[in-house]
Amino acid sequence: METERPFVLPGDSIDPSLIPVPRQQDAQTQNSKKQAVLRLGPGLRHMAATGAIVPTVPGQLVVDGRKRSMWVESKGGRYVASVGDVVIGQVQRSAGGDLFYVNLSPYTSNAILPHLAFEGASKKTRPQLAPGALVYARVSLANRHMDPELECVSPATGKADGLGPLVGGTVFDVSLGLARRLLMARSREEGQVAVLDFLGDEGLAFETAIGRNGKVWVRSDSIKTMIAVGRALQKTDEDDLSVDDQRKMVKWLIKSMR
Amino acid sequence: MAQPTMAIPGQLLGPASKYQPGPGTHIHEANLYSSLLGTVNVTQPPKAPAPVKRLNKIVPVAAPTPAELPTISVSFSAKSKREVLPEVNNIVLCRVLRITPRQAVVAILICGETVLEAEWQGLIRVQDVRATEKDRVKIYESFRPGDIVRAEVISLGDQANYYLSTAKNELGVIMATSEAGNTMIPISWKEYRDPETGISELRKVAKPY
Repeated sequence: METERPFVLPGDSIDPSLIPVPRQQDAQTQNSKKQAVLRLGPGLRHMAATGAIVPTVPGQLVVDGRKRSMWVESKGGRYVASVGDVVIGQVQRSAGGDLFYVNLSPYTSNAILPHLAFEGASKKTRPQLAPGALVYARVSLANRHMDPELECVSPATGKADGLGPLVGGTVFDVSLGLARRLLMARSREEGQVAVLDFLGDEGLAFETAIGRNGKVWVRSDSIKTMIAVGRALQKTDEDDLSVDDQRKMVKWLIKSMR
Repeated sequence: MAQPTMAIPGQLLGPASKYQPGPGTHIHEANLYSSLLGTVNVTQPPKAPAPVKRLNKIVPVAAPTPAELPTISVSFSAKSKREVLPEVNNIVLCRVLRITPRQAVVAILICGETVLEAEWQGLIRVQDVRATEKDRVKIYESFRPGDIVRAEVISLGDQANYYLSTAKNELGVIMATSEAGNTMIPISWKEYRDPETGISELRKVAKPY
C-alpha cells in the first residue's frame, strides 16, 4: 500500500500514527503470531531503554501495513555486512592453507571465505580461485568485532544455489539502495525498479548477479549488451528514475546503440 | 667483614661459609656475589635451641649447619618484593582485547592474588575455550572485547603470548558489558542478561564460587 513516505533524518522521532498496530482479532488467531510482531528493516533501531523506534540513516520511511514492517529506504553509503546478504567479492589471495581473503568494498578489511565452504569441496579437492577472481557468496558471520565471513554453499542443503565463482563478464558499481531494490522479490512493485526486465524485453540476452554491497555483475556474448546493461543501471541510479522513466530511458539507450 | 649496605652486580658480599645465599645473589668460588643493583638485607635464621649443657661430658662443637647461617639477599624495590610472573597452572584474570575466528587475544592483569606491574599478552585458542565439542566453538558466542575472563595458564608460549585455557567450569567470563553499555548478570553457563533491557548475550560463563 502506497502511503506517504516521509523523509527522516537519523535521530528523528517517528510520528506514532505511522507505526502499524496489530488489530485486536489478529492477536488471537494462529498465523498472526508473526503479524502481531512489528518487524524493523534496515535503517531503524529499537531503543530498548525508552521503547522508541529511531532511524539511523537518512532516507524515506516506508511502512508496509500488511506485513507489519517498517524500514528506511536510503540511497547509499558504505556497505556494512550483515548475515544473510549475498555479495560479490573479489579474491585477494589464498592464505593459511584453507582460506580466501575476499574484498567486498574498498578501504575495508577483507572478508574470509574458507576453502571448504564450496559445493563438493573436500580437503583433497579445493576450489582454484586466482587473485582477482570474482565470487558470489553469502555472508555467514558479521558483527562489529570481527571481519565478516562468507560461504558459497547453503548451510542447510549443501548445494550452491547459484553461489560460487563468476567467470567472464564485468562488474558495475551501483548504490546500495539500488542494489537492495534489485534484490527484492517484487522489485517492480515494491522497489520501483524494472530496468532489467525492460532490457530483456528489447531483446538483449544477458545474465546478471546482484551483490548487496553495491556491485552488479553482467555477462553476455556481446560487449555492446554488457555496456548497455551497465549504462542503464547507472542512469537509473544517478537520475533516480521512476518505472515509466526507466522504460523511456531503455528505449532511448537501445536506439542510440544501434 | 662488614657487608655493604648497597651493592652493584658483581660485588663481593661475603664468604659462603658465613652466609646463606638469598634472592639476588649467587655463589662463585665459595664467595657470595650480588646479582642485582639494590640494597643488601641480612636475615638472621631462627635460633636453634642451645644444646643442653652437661658438666661432665665433652661435646665437640660442630660447624654451623646451613640452616643456622644468616641469609643475605639483594633487592631493588624497598618492599623487597619479587616480580611476579604467570606460571603454568596459575589462575589469572585477563581482559579480552580482540577476537578472531580462531583465538581470543587477552591482556593478563592479575596473577593469583597479585596485580601485575606490566600487562602480559595471552591467547585463548578456540580449542581451549571449552572441554566439550571443541570443534564447534564460536568465539563470538564465547567472548567479546572488553570482557573480564578467569583463565588458567597452560603454556608459557612464545615471545609474544602466554597460552591460556578456559576449559573448566569455574573458568570463563566473570564480568561482561552488554551492547547497550550495562553490566550484565549471568543466567546460565552460556548466557548473560542485561537487567535493564532484558536482552541476553551468549558468553562462556565462569561458575561463581
